[in-house]
Amino acid sequence: MDSRRRRKVWLGGALLLFAVAAFLMFTGQADGDRPSAPEVNFPSRMSGPDFARAEKRRTWVMPTLDAGVAQAPAKPRDPLLAALPRGPGRTAVVIEANALRHSPLGELLMDCLMRDGGKNLEQFKSLSGVDPFQDLDRMVITDEGLILSGDFSKARYQELLGERVSSDHGPGARVYEAGDTAMPLPDGGTRRGRMDNAVGTWNNQMLVVGRNPDEVKTVLDRMDGRGTEEGPPLLDENSTYGEMYGVLAVSQLAKLLGPGQQELAQRLVDVAQNVELHLDTSGDVAMVANVSGLDAEKMTDLGKSLGGVLSMARMKAQTEGNTDLAQLLDFAKVRPDGTSFKLELAVPLEAIQQQLAWCREDRKTVENAQPPAP
Amino acid sequence: MNPVFVIAGYVLREAASRKFILAFMVGLTLVLATVAFSLKLEVVDGALAATRLFGEVVRANIVSVDVALRPIFRAAAYLVFYGGILFGIVACSDFAPGLLSPGRIEHLLALPLQRWHLLAGTFLGVMTLALGGTVYAAGGLTLIFGVKTGYWTVGPLIAGAMACVGFAAVYAVMLTTATLVRSAALCSAAGFVLLVCGILAGFRADVSRYLEPGVGRASFDAVTLVLPRLSALAVGAADLASSTPLAPGSLGMLLGGVLVFGLGSLAVGFWHFEGKDC
Repeated sequence: MDSRRRRKVWLGGALLLFAVAAFLMFTGQADGDRPSAPEVNFPSRMSGPDFARAEKRRTWVMPTLDAGVAQAPAKPRDPLLAALPRGPGRTAVVIEANALRHSPLGELLMDCLMRDGGKNLEQFKSLSGVDPFQDLDRMVITDEGLILSGDFSKARYQELLGERVSSDHGPGARVYEAGDTAMPLPDGGTRRGRMDNAVGTWNNQMLVVGRNPDEVKTVLDRMDGRGTEEGPPLLDENSTYGEMYGVLAVSQLAKLLGPGQQELAQRLVDVAQNVELHLDTSGDVAMVANVSGLDAEKMTDLGKSLGGVLSMARMKAQTEGNTDLAQLLDFAKVRPDGTSFKLELAVPLEAIQQQLAWCREDRKTVENAQPPAP
Repeated sequence: MNPVFVIAGYVLREAASRKFILAFMVGLTLVLATVAFSLKLEVVDGALAATRLFGEVVRANIVSVDVALRPIFRAAAYLVFYGGILFGIVACSDFAPGLLSPGRIEHLLALPLQRWHLLAGTFLGVMTLALGGTVYAAGGLTLIFGVKTGYWTVGPLIAGAMACVGFAAVYAVMLTTATLVRSAALCSAAGFVLLVCGILAGFRADVSRYLEPGVGRASFDAVTLVLPRLSALAVGAADLASSTPLAPGSLGMLLGGVLVFGLGSLAVGFWHFEGKDC
């Protein structure tokens, strides 16, 4: 091939190559927006709405004894927080029922609660006078029982608990001992039953359920400032963020760990003192746990072990092709800080949706089976 | 032996004799050695539990080791990509002008080889040099972190290879420029210009949005359609190095496009050099 022909070949080849290059690059790089990486909002501090909510709840002025000495007026407090247990080794987990109800997770849970088409709920509402979705604000699980707060002004205490032995316990509070319940039915009849728990009511705002009247009275006394327990309540107002938050006794948390994690559970009991939890359900479920102890070295070791467990879980998710979970476990981390550490963990909403898919199916089936309203 | 390899060997010998390149390799070795000896990583069940740098505890979160190494590998990928191209532009700018300089070119053309062999050999020699440097840097880093953490990944090595493809496109333009003007400075300038244009081309959709619709935007879109999308390739390399999900599109096609652009530029050089009166 002579030089002139070769030049033509090179030039033709170059043009062809540029055209091929342009095609390949145009096809290879999509001009659309890059999909956004998953983001998880870990609850880490009080936000503006949390502060506003906390302020609205400061409605209770604790009574002070008048000993003839002028005292500064007591500041209003959140009665529910005042009723929480005190001291280490205690549990109090607050569920913001109203906020949770309107979160994506709440929608899923609603499907489960309403899988009978809402019949049970309607029955409960007509019997008790309380609509849990409207009237219930918060629910607290403590090691003494349950505390419910909200608007119970329409509750039919007399009809429900009237046959039990009851007594007043301070201003606005009444304690009902365990006993029979009588529920008036819409047809005029009465359904009788027995409830083994004692119940306390306070100002139509709070309902306390305990194993016996003493436990209920203890809760009411704490709120009134008559309690015998020393120290501040387990949760302070600045820790009331997230849809679920609270302090969990280490022994309770250890029980929640699976059978394969018994060694870790034992270490947790041996080393940690308490665990403060915060759960955000505004998107994917994100959890922050502040674990504190006394020995910095042992706490660091515990943090490392937990980090290892999370890392193994992530590897397992990757191996099983569970990309969503693996991606969210990318966010799982342990932040050591001396005698405490912060554990951050997220669970994809989609994973929970898959787990609770049967609730939605059941609800749809029941709703489709119901005759249309006239 | 194929004359292309002979010329490539000649370029490599030339490179080995340059103190600038030797100093770079020594510097790279020192950096890798410093990382290797000063960094202590404690891994518990696949989680990076503690880090010590020069004996001091680094406050860091306990996370999966690959998640912890992501930013490091990502930064290394960008460094190798852009740093490597920049170093290559500076260090290799005078190979071709030197080879084509009066006196030497007559001697080479007297040998039994074709003109395009000269350019192809120079290109091959420089690319061998680039690939060697990249494998040394990316491989060294992978080896160090692999030994220290037990987490082995070929991501940084693939990212390094992608950086070499990016540099191939840039150097092909530099080589073609050398056939037009025997100036190391102008070759470097051509390389820099293509690098900047390549970065813009990678973000062409974003940049185009800010241009007024009309001739300006259409011209920009047309020009950047052909240019190698170096920044997009760099992002892909960093994603691969850090094992993060890739952007939509085919990275293979993008990579192939940049490589073919380089070959096209080289073909222009062959075309011009073939008809050049040396």
